[in-house]
Amino acid sequence: MSPAPADPLEYKPLDGGWGWMVVIGAHISIGFAYATPKVLSIFFNEIQQDLGSSFSEIALISSIMLAAMYAGGPVSSAMVNRFGSRPIVMLGGLLCGVSMITASFGTSIIYLYFCIGVIGGCGLSLNLNASLIIISKYFLKRRPLANGLAMAGSPVFLCVLAPFNQYLLVNFGWRGSLLILGGLMLHCCVAGALMRPVPLPCKPPSYALEKTVEEQPNSGNTKLKKRFVKNAKKFLDFSLFKDRGFVIYLIGSIMFIFGAYAPIVFLSAYAKSQGVEEYSAAYLLSIMGFVDMFVRPGTGLIANSKLVRPRIQYFFSFALVFNGTCHLLCPLIKSYAFLVVYAVFFGIGFGMVFALIFECLMDLMGSQRFPRAVGLVTIIECFPMLLGPPAAGLLVDVYHDYKYLFLMCGSVILTGGLFLFVMNIYNYHMLDKERQKQVRASEVEMKLTPQAGTGQTEPEAKERNVALRDPENTETTD
Amino acid sequence: MQSMKLQHGMERELCLSVCVIQLWMESATRKLQGDTRAASLLQLKGEGGGLVVLLHDAASRETRKRSSERPAHRGDRGIIIMSAIRKQLSFQILLLFISCRNINTKTLGATAPPLDPTAPLQKLERSYVLKGDSHTEKVELLNPVSLVLMCTWTGSQNKPTNITGFWSKDGKEIENSRVTVQLENKQYNLKRTFSIASEADLGSYSCDFGGEAKINFVLAVPQMGDERDKPIVSYLGDSVVVPCKLDDSKPTPNTWNWYRANETGKEQIIAGQKFSIKNDEKKTKLVIHDLTADDSGLYYCGAVYGVGITMGRVELKVISFFEPLKPFIAILVEVIILVAAILLYEKSRSKKDYTAAGNGATDQTNTLSSGENNGPEESSSMRQRKV
Repeated sequence: MSPAPADPLEYKPLDGGWGWMVVIGAHISIGFAYATPKVLSIFFNEIQQDLGSSFSEIALISSIMLAAMYAGGPVSSAMVNRFGSRPIVMLGGLLCGVSMITASFGTSIIYLYFCIGVIGGCGLSLNLNASLIIISKYFLKRRPLANGLAMAGSPVFLCVLAPFNQYLLVNFGWRGSLLILGGLMLHCCVAGALMRPVPLPCKPPSYALEKTVEEQPNSGNTKLKKRFVKNAKKFLDFSLFKDRGFVIYLIGSIMFIFGAYAPIVFLSAYAKSQGVEEYSAAYLLSIMGFVDMFVRPGTGLIANSKLVRPRIQYFFSFALVFNGTCHLLCPLIKSYAFLVVYAVFFGIGFGMVFALIFECLMDLMGSQRFPRAVGLVTIIECFPMLLGPPAAGLLVDVYHDYKYLFLMCGSVILTGGLFLFVMNIYNYHMLDKERQKQVRASEVEMKLTPQAGTGQTEPEAKERNVALRDPENTETTD
Repeated sequence: MQSMKLQHGMERELCLSVCVIQLWMESATRKLQGDTRAASLLQLKGEGGGLVVLLHDAASRETRKRSSERPAHRGDRGIIIMSAIRKQLSFQILLLFISCRNINTKTLGATAPPLDPTAPLQKLERSYVLKGDSHTEKVELLNPVSLVLMCTWTGSQNKPTNITGFWSKDGKEIENSRVTVQLENKQYNLKRTFSIASEADLGSYSCDFGGEAKINFVLAVPQMGDERDKPIVSYLGDSVVVPCKLDDSKPTPNTWNWYRANETGKEQIIAGQKFSIKNDEKKTKLVIHDLTADDSGLYYCGAVYGVGITMGRVELKVISFFEPLKPFIAILVEVIILVAAILLYEKSRSKKDYTAAGNGATDQTNTLSSGENNGPEESSSMRQRKV
């Protein structure tokens, strides 16, 4: 199936105005989603002492939360398609708040697994997907910039929440801190309130299925159930796998996620093994986060430019290659100064990739198929994310040397980047061929019937092709 | 034969009563000291056992004596046996109480267990060659030792043949330690043996060469690592675990003690209903149940070595649950206000547009330009609002 979408966008997205408030809301939402599992680890020492469990049992809380956040993707996308982003983000914020508040009364580790891990993770997954989807609805021309700004929420909240959590822990203990953190997460509800629903001019035929469900509430339970099942199947849409571009993107991003998180987890341990003292080793991660904060919007700005926007998939593969080489070069350096430089470049590479990772998917899929696509991508990304750091840890245990970890991660990411680059060239080539075939076929039809005004459609590939040949035309509005 | 049976019965009863007394003593001591006095417990058991043996011996001796005399009546013999045994019993009980008192004084002191004075002290040697004017050397000690400290000084510019050297402890000169040091192989040597038996003997020992050069040997038990400067926070009515950890590189202490800071210094904590102590080689945990506001304050964990105790401190803060609740409620109120404000703002804008649209929306263009003007955007969004 070529990316020329069957459902063209019937309205022109705002690309500004209230859209920037939506970006702020998405910033908050995504910030909590990515930062919370990481900053919770500050409490783990205290919780471990009070509940008397081992450190690996406690660390499982973070893993369960991350897994639930990614695995909840398809459900979240389905709900957003049905109800719109606003109620879903508000519900997600409520769930997160409730999860932290109930966790503050916990007396056993299983209780914490359920409260923080499952309920919190579900809340965060609702937040994450809904925020991404609404950005794709509100922006087209400035979408890379909007994505970059929204994704910058992750390092910003990480840098803010980490010292704040320390402060809370010292003053209120871990129970009080979880309670107050729950209150803070309720701000996702505020973010949800900002996400005003996007107006749809009229229901295009693709929504007929949901529409019939809405219009026939009394039509008997069995019919409803059948429709729901059909809906469910539709939202875990395996037909997306027929899309070449999607499969290429998926493979590239799986390879990236596999190698991306392990260096973060092991960076301070590696620094300590090189003789750096503990405080400076922890400082490396803050440097990385700080650089990340500025790189993400910057990358969005670059990706938005006339030069890069049509070739954004290549820019994405460049970012992956940059990241991979960064990791490959790390074991060569031994001194602290060079480790700082590595942390800076790591921050740059990491920020670039994450600013583009969802923008590229939106670019490939278009605003209509993006919700389903993002749900599928997040649930598939769950596996490399959970497998990556333990596999790297295994390497460290077997060889007793951190350099193999960096070599593995770097090579996996580099291969992913190169794969994306090559396959994208091939993909565009094939798309061009298909387009030319289509154009010739429609030319024949045009001679028989008048061409219906398509207005502003959103065939991303079409735009891109046009842009590649004629950059000025991407800016024209109708 | 029946008298023998009676005799055995008496013995058994007496043994039982001694055993009961012994058990009572054991439980009392356990309540008083917790696990840390296992050594003295064994002593008591040994003594108690010894008492039982003594009693056995005494009773059997008496019965043998009596049986050899062949008393006239069975009853008489029984009475005689009983009186003899009663004498023995009173004597033994007296012994028991004396040893009990002995144990009591041993357990309540917060010092290291007393040494066996007859065992020879381990010998340890420490030396240092000084090139400048002063140096400090750390010596880590675990158990009582006989320490030989040797100081060597290469001398200053002019090297007189004889200088006066002396030793001092903690800044105060040790009596009769002044000696004349001769220059041998261009070096001055001072050597002295110290007997380090208890915590009082630890400190800073210095050898001083005529006031010009000084080497300090700081004798101490292995110190705790960096203690946490942040307090442990817990809530009223909750229970908390206060941990203390010794660095892995340091040797395992004999045992751990916990102390509570009060006005007059440190007071040892005894395990009971409120406190329980869990020791695990290089780690220890103090569990405090049913926290009250009085439980806030400083707690000290002491790792007990043969020659002294090394202290670590932890601060505990007990707060009521209302303290975090106040900021939480403030945040909750703020969130509700923000959400209400945003939704109300939106409603008011859409109402305005309804009225504006009613008055003539023909001028307003259909296109949603990407500029910052909200007018046309609002009207079109009103027209096509998705609920």
